Amino acid sequence: MESNESVSRLLRLKRYEQPPPGYFEEFLSEFQCRQRAEVIQRPLWAITWDRIARFLTPPTLPRLAMGASFAAVILGATLMLVPETRLQPTSTGEQSPFSLAGAAPSLPAATESLRPEKPMSSVQYVLPAHPVGYASSRSF
Amino acid sequence: METPEPSDQELVARTQAGDATAYDELVRRFSPRLYGLVYNMTSSHEDTHDLLQEIFAKGYRSIKSFQGKSSFHTWMHTISVNMTINFLKKRNRRRTMSLDDIDNGVLNDPDFIEATSATDPSNEANLSELQKKLNESLMKLSHDHRAVVTMFDIQGIPHAEIAKILKVSEGTVRSRLFYAHKQLQNLLREFINP
Repeated sequence: MESNESVSRLLRLKRYEQPPPGYFEEFLSEFQCRQRAEVIQRPLWAITWDRIARFLTPPTLPRLAMGASFAAVILGATLMLVPETRLQPTSTGEQSPFSLAGAAPSLPAATESLRPEKPMSSVQYVLPAHPVGYASSRSF
Repeated sequence: METPEPSDQELVARTQAGDATAYDELVRRFSPRLYGLVYNMTSSHEDTHDLLQEIFAKGYRSIKSFQGKSSFHTWMHTISVNMTINFLKKRNRRRTMSLDDIDNGVLNDPDFIEATSATDPSNEANLSELQKKLNESLMKLSHDHRAVVTMFDIQGIPHAEIAKILKVSEGTVRSRLFYAHKQLQNLLREFINP
């Protein structure tokens, strides 16, 4: 056990080995130069992307959570925009596949009770106001 | 009134928010400690210098992934040990020893006086001989054993902290230390007084 302590004492003498005075100040200057050089060598798009990401994300937010939130926002936006654009009647008089406005005139007016429970926005305007068969697709 | 120095945690948070000067302060704070670690594992000033530049660059690139589960000190030590061991594996047998200057204070250290009293009476000669022998002996240890000896005996880091740095159990740290000391006892026999 004592020789174990002797080894430790000898090894502690290595604490006296030091780099030349002023070494650490020069070390820092060199580090800063290398960092700048690294930044300059990076492509512009990578620097821009880094800055945007740094601006938008708090540093403590885990990447996974950030990715999931981003995906949720994209998905939500897609769901909100896509059905509306698909239901919009075109200006050329083409009929939307979801519109009842061009349905056969023989349909009785009482078909209102058969309306789908989840009405689509474009249908809802037509049915209560006009007889089904006479509504023109241009009436929107 | 002087403003208190910011803590490591504050500097890390500022670096993560994009303040590069905060990282400069961390480099200033940690370079002497990490220099000691890398230098005593490589025994080469030139290699230590290059490696330390790369270690701090890696720290800067990865700082966003640092979540504060351990201290910044532990985190940087882990990066340093891993990068140094990888470097040593590549360097393998190409040993380039370049010893740093020893502070003259060592001549008055009782441990130095005791260790060298039995040999040459000239302190200067003893000093260079002891320094050479210590470095040669350390280089004969395995990388893992050398890392533990450097952190425990030279840097004075406690067992529990070393275990966190190396991601091993405290028992493993103690066991590595035991075998490394045993090996060093044989290698440094002439400097160990009976």
